[in-house]
Amino acid sequence: MLSRQSRPYRLLLPAALLFAASVLSARAAAPVLRIQVRDGADGARLTIASTVPLSFSYDAQPSLLTVTFQTRTSFRILREPFQSRFIRSLGWSRGSESLTMAVSTAIEPYIYVDNLKPDPFELTIDIRPGRPGTPSGAAAPSAASVTPAAGASGAGAVPSPAVGTVTAPVSTAPAAAGAGSIAPTAPGTAAPAAAPLSEGGAGRRTRKIVLDPGHGGLEVGAKGSFGTMEKDVTLAICRKLKTALEKGLSSQVSLTREGDEDVPLDKRAAVANNIKADLFISVHTNGSRRKLAQGSETFFMSLTATDEETRKLAYLENEASRLKGTIADESRDDIQLILWDMAQTAFIKQSGGLAEIIQAELNDLLGTKDRGVKQAPFKVLTGVACPAVLVEVAFISNPDEEKRLTDEKFQDTVVAAVYRGLVKFLKVQG
Amino acid sequence: MSSRPANRSRRPLRPRVLALGLLSVALLVWVVLFYRGGGGEKIRHPEEPAPAAKPSSAVRTPAQTRTVTLYFVSETDSLLHPEGRDIPASGALSEEVSSVLAELVKGSRQDLVAPLPPETKVRQVFVTADGVAYVDFSREIMEAFAYGSSSELAAVYAVVDTLTANFPPIKKVAILIEGLEKETLGGHVDLSRPLPPDASLIAK
Repeated sequence: MLSRQSRPYRLLLPAALLFAASVLSARAAAPVLRIQVRDGADGARLTIASTVPLSFSYDAQPSLLTVTFQTRTSFRILREPFQSRFIRSLGWSRGSESLTMAVSTAIEPYIYVDNLKPDPFELTIDIRPGRPGTPSGAAAPSAASVTPAAGASGAGAVPSPAVGTVTAPVSTAPAAAGAGSIAPTAPGTAAPAAAPLSEGGAGRRTRKIVLDPGHGGLEVGAKGSFGTMEKDVTLAICRKLKTALEKGLSSQVSLTREGDEDVPLDKRAAVANNIKADLFISVHTNGSRRKLAQGSETFFMSLTATDEETRKLAYLENEASRLKGTIADESRDDIQLILWDMAQTAFIKQSGGLAEIIQAELNDLLGTKDRGVKQAPFKVLTGVACPAVLVEVAFISNPDEEKRLTDEKFQDTVVAAVYRGLVKFLKVQG
Repeated sequence: MSSRPANRSRRPLRPRVLALGLLSVALLVWVVLFYRGGGGEKIRHPEEPAPAAKPSSAVRTPAQTRTVTLYFVSETDSLLHPEGRDIPASGALSEEVSSVLAELVKGSRQDLVAPLPPETKVRQVFVTADGVAYVDFSREIMEAFAYGSSSELAAVYAVVDTLTANFPPIKKVAILIEGLEKETLGGHVDLSRPLPPDASLIAK
């Protein structure tokens, strides 16, 4: 661009005009994806029109529907501003081989029915309140039983070979991250997969609960003055809790670490997302610079991070035409983060409720000081696509509480409190 | 008849229009270059002294100091409590931020608890145009303490809340360690993005 300036005076105007024209035409040449949201009486209609045909797949979570388009094309996304009683927000993210739209719904549970016109490509998705008629749920979404409007979506989604849902799991970070999105096994299957907590028949379905023993391996966590390490206490409590939940709730319980090992924080969230967990409980013991600090508290994720992501999304949308599909790995990490956050945002309310209930039980049973329910941007909670809390059982940095934390009976009481909290929460949810 | 004056005025205008056009295009190119260039290096040390504020503060405090508020943890609750301190008023934002952080590391002069390990060094500070302060600490901030949620929240938000309270241009704080982005200090608070202040941790 500098060379343009050094050209002869007369050439400056045409050169500059040419430059401007080329920039404009480059923008104009990019295929366009036009998004429109219209509210009807009983639901919202999302219309996605594209100048080129697209294949896509769905992943449905409670209050979050993600649609992943398999495409390498860099689109210009034209989104009409909208206000909807049914759709809270739309987010976009781009990977090198896909484009993911995250629809955060204002209603829960919701059902969605899609319809596709192939030429020109126009996908309409109707979202309205209703319970997905899922009998046995998330684990194996079969085309026939899962899709309430199987006729409409099954037939509609694949009318021509040019447009079909790619069945192979694509190696795109966003797709994998988008609340553990798995491409449906049947083409065009709209699978309202995991709507676990909002289903009927509470208690009968097997709940998938992920317990996260804080820290591990070299990362010992907080330490007590008698040498007790947080990682050991959290593992002991989680093992006991696992046994209790498997027996009493006949839940499927997974631990993010089975032994004394280092597990990165994002892997812990991934454990929950990969199995489409219903609940995520991270167990920690607290540490303070003050020896006197004592008590129990329960955290859930704070919302502050989310505003940031909304802006980041806007930024990415603006930058997208420049990126031209050649997204650097780091940006893809960002995108992954965004989707994970959006997933967690959808569960913040439930997480808050779960935290309140667990904290109340801790207060009832433990006899520790009530430090209340708090929100914090804890890394391990960002990205968990289900209600998620972090329990700080007591202060290992306080010598009295350190002693209690190593006591089997105290640990059993902690287990009883969390167990009771979970039972109550699931009842409320069910 | 009517075309003549129009013609007359048009002809002498042409070079002027051309010149104007050239000028505006040049301006456009310059603007584009300016913003492109700016986009590439958003992170800047705003070293230019704050213009109007300086003389007045110099009048009030002849020794060129300014009073700031630091946040430390109290022994009685887990909240952050304010403590006043005078720092040299250099006028350069990043310098003043560094001085404030150095004071924060040094700890309280009353009996409040220092939220950061005393060995911690402030390596570098820069503030972006959009109000994010990047604060680079030495590795001691991670290694000298075994953090629990409470002490980690205190450490992170003592920094975030102190900086945002004292420097209006700073809206968010990103904490780096040895020049690199770290996930957390000790396994809790997410440091992978700039943090806005959290007033709920400050004692009322």
